[in-house]
Amino acid sequence: MTIANYYRPGSVSEALDILAAHGADLLVIAGGTIAMPLINEGISLPAEVMGLRRAGLDTYTRRGDEVILGATLPITRLVEQTDVPMLRAAALRTASWSVRNMATVGGNLFAPPPAGDIAAALLALGATATITGRSGTREVALDDFWTGFMTTVVAPDELLTSISVPVTSAATSFIKFGRKRDNTPAVVTVAVTANLDNGIVRGARIALGAAGPHAIRASNAEAAVHGQPLSASVIAAAADAAAAECEPFTDAVATDAYRRQMVRLFVARALTQLDASASTQGREA
Amino acid sequence: MNVHGTYLFHAPRERVFAAICDPETLMAVIPGCRDVHLGASGDYEGTVSLRLPGAVGTYRTSVRMVDVVAPERSSLDGRLEGQMGSISGHATFVLDEERAATRIDYQGNAVIQGPLARLDSRFAERFAETLIGQGLKALDARLQTEVSA
Repeated sequence: MTIANYYRPGSVSEALDILAAHGADLLVIAGGTIAMPLINEGISLPAEVMGLRRAGLDTYTRRGDEVILGATLPITRLVEQTDVPMLRAAALRTASWSVRNMATVGGNLFAPPPAGDIAAALLALGATATITGRSGTREVALDDFWTGFMTTVVAPDELLTSISVPVTSAATSFIKFGRKRDNTPAVVTVAVTANLDNGIVRGARIALGAAGPHAIRASNAEAAVHGQPLSASVIAAAADAAAAECEPFTDAVATDAYRRQMVRLFVARALTQLDASASTQGREA
Repeated sequence: MNVHGTYLFHAPRERVFAAICDPETLMAVIPGCRDVHLGASGDYEGTVSLRLPGAVGTYRTSVRMVDVVAPERSSLDGRLEGQMGSISGHATFVLDEERAATRIDYQGNAVIQGPLARLDSRFAERFAETLIGQGLKALDARLQTEVSA
């Protein structure tokens, strides 16, 4: 079966009407970089598809101390902005230029691991998702956005419409480790933000990609560095904690055991870079 | 496709077993599940809606309980069928008492046919385990709510 109907709503309201009319049988896509390869290969055969490209969600807005990213904002736009350096670093390590021109920020939150590099960065930054349905709009911290592998709190009659990202002066560090430098799925991704007070960590967020069913926080590792200087022993303890608490998986890219070892290595490296970049800005690995 | 796992319910074994065998309860806790009823053939029948890019759509489902030894263990044969293909499987679960709680150990295997079979099996297993985990968690919450009500 080929696609019988392709809908291109011109607004969120129109998109919600289409969603209500077709329910769970409607495949919602934005950039299409996840779904279209499956459709082209005959793996996915949706009869009804809705593309959100023209729904007016491709906006980038700086509002005070936060940036509002429309759900269908192309990832390329993150490369062009300077408000949140970590997002630029993450975007540059995501796929290729041609894919980044199509792929969207919102779509990255639904990408199955090991994809989802932007999601890991957004989680470390403490971003909030705005979800819209016919009954209104609600905001959900990314900490609570995912409910499992490929599942989220977005209800069947709702759409992710934007993501709010705080513009932070905290030190940041982003590392994506893959089998090659560019255009490659992650073995692991590590994103860290931390406030440093005379070298003492006052609140850190350590996010891991490709090390769980979705982007996850390494909360035990965060606790290990909280209130501590980033000494070698503290960093080692945090790296061990992250390796112990992550939930790695085996795929064509890496085994779960290898991923766990790489989490240990790259959490340590990200924290070390964090210390080095504390007085400047985020740093790209 | 193979799945297995363990979950600890905070409820007595008899109540957990009865809940698993109750279509209305199952309908409430299985993500995307609707219209579960006990069919004339003795099978539970219903529909499950998935919004997974590779498997979006509504699937007819039927489940038959077999080898029932209440409240200790049971097996089930199930089938999920839609335009994307079908999944036929067999699963076994064992309930053990742990003080006031109940531990369930489950394992199952399934054969995927049709376009769905082109999905990476690891991908399918991880998604299946997520749905099972969410269903068990929701069932546990429902049982605890009933206890406190």
